[in-house]
Amino acid sequence: MATLPPAVTATGTVARPQPPALRHVRRRRRPSGEPPPLPRHLNASGKWWLAASGAVVLAWIAVAVTGSVSLFDVADTRVLQAFAQVRSPPLTRIALIAGALATPIGVYLLWVANFAVLIVLRRWRHLFVWVGVALVVVNLGGTMLTLLQRPRPYEVALIGRWAGFSMPSLPITVLTTFLVCTLYSLVPAGRYRTAGKWVICGLLAVTALSRLYLAQDHPTDIVAGAILGVAVPLAAFRWLTPNDVFPVSYRRGRTAHLDVTGIRGDAIIRALQDQLGLLATSVKPFNLEGSGGSTPLKICVKSDDAAGESYVFAKLYAATHVRSDRWYKLGRTLLYGRLEDEQPFHSVRRLVQYEDYVLHLMDDAGLPVSHPLGIVEITPEREYLLVTEFIAGSSEIGEADVDEAIIDQGLAVVRRMWEIGLAHRDIKPANLLVCDGRLVIIDTAFAEVRPSPWRQAVDLANMMLVLGLRTDAETVYQRARRQFSEEEIAEAFAATRGLTMPTQLRRLLRQRGRDLHAQFLELLPYRLPPVRIQLFSWRRVLLTIATLFGAVLGVMILISVLGQPL
Amino acid sequence: MKAARIAALPALVAGGLLSGCAGGSTLITAAPLCAGPDGADNGVVLMAQSVPTATQVPCIRSALPLGWNFHHLDARNGRAQFSLDSDRDGQMAVEVRLEASCTTAGATEVPSDRDGMRRLERVGRTSPSYAGTRYYLFDGGCLSVVFSLASNDAGEALAVASQAVGFVSRDELRAQVRDASGGRLSLDPPPHENG
Repeated sequence: MATLPPAVTATGTVARPQPPALRHVRRRRRPSGEPPPLPRHLNASGKWWLAASGAVVLAWIAVAVTGSVSLFDVADTRVLQAFAQVRSPPLTRIALIAGALATPIGVYLLWVANFAVLIVLRRWRHLFVWVGVALVVVNLGGTMLTLLQRPRPYEVALIGRWAGFSMPSLPITVLTTFLVCTLYSLVPAGRYRTAGKWVICGLLAVTALSRLYLAQDHPTDIVAGAILGVAVPLAAFRWLTPNDVFPVSYRRGRTAHLDVTGIRGDAIIRALQDQLGLLATSVKPFNLEGSGGSTPLKICVKSDDAAGESYVFAKLYAATHVRSDRWYKLGRTLLYGRLEDEQPFHSVRRLVQYEDYVLHLMDDAGLPVSHPLGIVEITPEREYLLVTEFIAGSSEIGEADVDEAIIDQGLAVVRRMWEIGLAHRDIKPANLLVCDGRLVIIDTAFAEVRPSPWRQAVDLANMMLVLGLRTDAETVYQRARRQFSEEEIAEAFAATRGLTMPTQLRRLLRQRGRDLHAQFLELLPYRLPPVRIQLFSWRRVLLTIATLFGAVLGVMILISVLGQPL
Repeated sequence: MKAARIAALPALVAGGLLSGCAGGSTLITAAPLCAGPDGADNGVVLMAQSVPTATQVPCIRSALPLGWNFHHLDARNGRAQFSLDSDRDGQMAVEVRLEASCTTAGATEVPSDRDGMRRLERVGRTSPSYAGTRYYLFDGGCLSVVFSLASNDAGEALAVASQAVGFVSRDELRAQVRDASGGRLSLDPPPHENG
């Protein structure tokens, strides 16, 4: 490995320790056709149910072409007649109650309850899939009813409620769909979901028996409805909300963090060996509370030194993080207006590529960052791992001893970023580590190449505020004057206030109970007028109007949905 | 989390669509023709199943006059109804409703244009637009033809109701079902089975 350039400081250079000698093995190119480390999967049961729905459709076509519907009619009628033989007033009352779930009001309550719970839990993706699946199934079922035009059962008294043609049984189709959607959007995977499947089987069996007793549907209508009702949501949820990416969980914690045990953990280990030649032995979450936009990992790998093993740091990015980033930026645009570059990333691959590029840029410029080791693809276009050097024994600057050397290094980082035309844009205590008297800057995902002068000025003020948190404004200001002019510092504090500071920095400043920002302003020989940041743009105006319109429309539709049973 | 709330809007919109779609999924958009290639359409059979006592079942005789369209058929236990749209008299200008019985209070009996049926007419208003109901009473059923016209000229709509709306007897439907099943099935349950 090439010798790393030293970090530049005002007082000279700080030698960077050589990274550990990680053991590398030969990398392997994945041949065409071989699945990625963590492929998207439907599971065997999902494929079985899809095949069953295909069989139902083929059966419909075969019956229509051969004109053999009367055979099914006769068979179905004989079954229904057998049920009719055992009819009695008490049994009829029981059957009417047992079939309540498939009534319009039963299905409606299920729908509204799910809708409300998913909104309260803010499980938006599951909600979208839920609604999408319901739309598809209801319309598919309605289309099949129109195409097949099968009357209700013959030669037996229909004593339950019914409407329209009978094949497939729309109440059973919709009920099955809604129950499966409920299972996959609200019940955690594992034994609870397995138990839930049996509960659904039981509910459907009771409902089906009730409908057969009341002769509301033919048996084949019920079978076809149940198959459609299971296959479509099962495929949709497994494909669009795979449990390893969008787990249903009621544990406290950030939803951005992915579970790295099980098949994902194995996939990471395999992918690290194939793509970077690293022999990983364990993958563990690391400092989760400090990260909301990715899943940070500490990965134990084999090394060639005496210890035999070392660590690398990795950030696991998934498509869900990109979407979170997109909504977060839209929210900021609506709330605060234009804060320079708020354009979101449109794919997780681009996000990871960008962060890797910025890391390389900073590393090449001698800035004290974790040395990038490469990008690992876990699932194409869905999950990527950004692997870097692990800074062992480091602590956040908010908890470390900060002396003049650290202050100088921090200020030199800003000066060097100015020189190479870069802004970090997220300078806060959580992103500045101190390790053996050496400052390391991390989390470069928000960095911007060729930023506006205003952005660069904000970096300087935020760095001074972070350094001042652990020391005092006077010391930081005096050290800053060695690298920056009074005008540059004045501009920095004119540009920085409120929203331009990261949330963590604002919170710490409030907790300290002293107005560090004002103290810096008092130290300045003169002040510049504040730089305006809340710029109105057409985009913001239009987005705000669209949001308000959408909100009004949403409320109206919600009222309509609540008032109109399915 | 304003952005997250914004994210819910498409779901709400879709929810609205869903409620609308699901509500209409059992409605039948194909006209129930009295005489299709294999006899009466299945929509007519379904109407017969809606009112098991009805000895006559309404249907659409043939192509509707220019300017008139079939809206939809809603057949369910206890009643069946279909409606016709007119480009001059508005959507669902004529609604045809089959029930086991109906209230004809205020209606006047007039000579019937259908064999074996009594006909009654009740005019709600004639101006500014026409509204009225025509009843056909027969064994085990009642057919109401409700006129809700956008204009006060009821002539065309009344003629459409007379000419385009026909009847198929239950006996004919029974024979049709029996023939289609090779003599193995009957439309109705045996008389002793009362559910």
